[in-house]
Amino acid sequence: MRCDHCANDVPDGVFCTRCGAHQGTTGEVANPKKREQRYAAHPAEHVAQPSIFTTIFPHLGHSKIHEFRWAFAVGLAGILILYVAGLITAALLVAIFLVPVLYLIYLYEAQVYRDEPAVVLGFTIGGGALIGIVLTVIERIVYNPYPNIGNPLRGAGISVGALLFLGLLWPIVQEVLKPLPALFLPNRGDFPETVDGLVFGIAAGLGFSVAESLVAFSTALVSLPAHLTPGNWIYDLTTLAVFQPLLQGSTTGIIVAAVWRYRRGRLGRLEIGGVAAAVVAHIAFSLGTQLWKDILLSPLVILVWQAVVVGAVLVYIRYLLHHALLEEAAHMGFAETVCSNCHMHIVASGFCPNCGMALTAAPTAVKRARKPRADTPTKAKA
Amino acid sequence: MALTCARCGAQNPDGNLYCQACGTALAAAPGVAAASVPGPPPGIPPPVAGPAGYQSPYYTPAPGSAVPAHRTPWTLIIAVVVALIVLMAGGGTALAILGNRGSANPSGGGIADVPSPTPATTPSPVASPTSTSTGPKTESNDALTVAVPTGWTVDNKDAESITLLDPSSDGTVTAASGPSIPPQTAQNNKDTIDSQLKSQYPDTRECPNTSPKSGTFNGASGIAWTLCFTITSGGNSIPAAASLFAGANGSGSVYYVVMVLTSQSNLQNMLNEAKPVMQSVHWKLS
Repeated sequence: MRCDHCANDVPDGVFCTRCGAHQGTTGEVANPKKREQRYAAHPAEHVAQPSIFTTIFPHLGHSKIHEFRWAFAVGLAGILILYVAGLITAALLVAIFLVPVLYLIYLYEAQVYRDEPAVVLGFTIGGGALIGIVLTVIERIVYNPYPNIGNPLRGAGISVGALLFLGLLWPIVQEVLKPLPALFLPNRGDFPETVDGLVFGIAAGLGFSVAESLVAFSTALVSLPAHLTPGNWIYDLTTLAVFQPLLQGSTTGIIVAAVWRYRRGRLGRLEIGGVAAAVVAHIAFSLGTQLWKDILLSPLVILVWQAVVVGAVLVYIRYLLHHALLEEAAHMGFAETVCSNCHMHIVASGFCPNCGMALTAAPTAVKRARKPRADTPTKAKA
Repeated sequence: MALTCARCGAQNPDGNLYCQACGTALAAAPGVAAASVPGPPPGIPPPVAGPAGYQSPYYTPAPGSAVPAHRTPWTLIIAVVVALIVLMAGGGTALAILGNRGSANPSGGGIADVPSPTPATTPSPVASPTSTSTGPKTESNDALTVAVPTGWTVDNKDAESITLLDPSSDGTVTAASGPSIPPQTAQNNKDTIDSQLKSQYPDTRECPNTSPKSGTFNGASGIAWTLCFTITSGGNSIPAAASLFAGANGSGSVYYVVMVLTSQSNLQNMLNEAKPVMQSVHWKLS
């Protein structure tokens, strides 16, 4: 068939395998070429859907995503059980490690690091953790929390110094330093795709998050009683288990992905805006959290605020990645392969003609199993 | 409108010819009908038909063995998370037990031995902020006056409260007083403080082996008690203790508050160190 949008002759399908455009939808969708209703990494979702797993685990297919969602839910249930049982130290540890451990499994599952796991994991997760330790130790030395607890009957009021340090200066410092390990990956030339940069950035951010949380909670971990009344720990646990790692991972992911795009000569408004959005989101997260605490808003309101900020960052990542995938996958040659999203055996170029997934976001094993068809065409096998 | 797959029941976006989950042909999709199936693209011969029920000319459901994508079965993923929970439950509990064993006897005695800031003897208040050059420096606001011993610094001061930071920055002393509208008893003020600290810190509770005591603080009647909680802020998670006094005048129209805040292990030292400050508090409102 001839694609409605790029005019190439391509295999029949709902999506053009060369440009990814949604076929026969000109009258139905605002811009079938941009196909914002079909996120390139997971076409069943809209690009603007703030989904955690299809955003920061972009290589996972339709069914695998659900397995990771279930595993995350099991982890959260475990934290809840430990919290209710009063085992706060244990709950804190599970909360700190849950998302990073899932990400390690994801990296293994998708083999994003290909044949060099030690170098990639060492530089991303290890480097991020090292920077996290150094920065958080410095933060502890510089920031003394006692003076910000004033009149207990009236509330401390807004501490401008704490707001400027914790809510403005420190997020900027973190966003400048966190991406460095991924940006200076020695073999970065072997990973040219933007989706690789995004995943490496997220890995570095999660390494940072683990180190930051461990250093920050080190005193509590060794001083809390083995068993205590659960109290309000559930709010801190939620931040530690969900919002903190997602923020640190996704902001670093955006910045590294933007730099990856720049290295490909594709620095546009979306990429520059991505760096700005990451810094602004981190400031909003930290400043809002500190401010709402100062004026004694309910911890639930703080969680909602954190969720809104993290959700916005996730949506931005999706637009950045969607745009990059549509552009980068368009240059792939024809090959026999299997779509990791819909599991169809396809003869395709850059996009699955059935579900529209960008095939550059396929796991490494699938990419390696591609059988080029341009020179030696053979029949597709059932 | 979503299309439901007759084979697996998955919901597919409108316009799909084949199920995204299992590859089965869906009911006729308007706009992208089978009529759009022309010949193959250049260089690509038509593949063979797929399994029963599926007739796509160019893509077919992959046989199970032909999907090399998944290296980790779902059981392994769940098992790793369960192992994480079990390991951390055991490790975390052991860490807490060992950590508490090491800090069971903080220097200066336990919190239970710490006297609350309700001096048995009535301290002589500072007469006025017009101190002589040989006396300690004083700070004053509309509600109170307090001495600032050498090495201590004024961290915060407003119309109702003054907070002093100790020389080693290990804790603070806050004294506050002001009008209560509507009138509040000492117990009301204590309850408000408890409630605010509980909302701010995850585990605010009365410290072990302590209990609230009624008394006076430099002429003000009220209640003294000690709270323990964890401060989580700015890369810190400090197990803190606050020795508190909350009082009110006879009509409840004026409140009086004193708080000595430091780490739980340092509370005894801090109370000793802060004694000159606490004894110097002079309430201006009555």
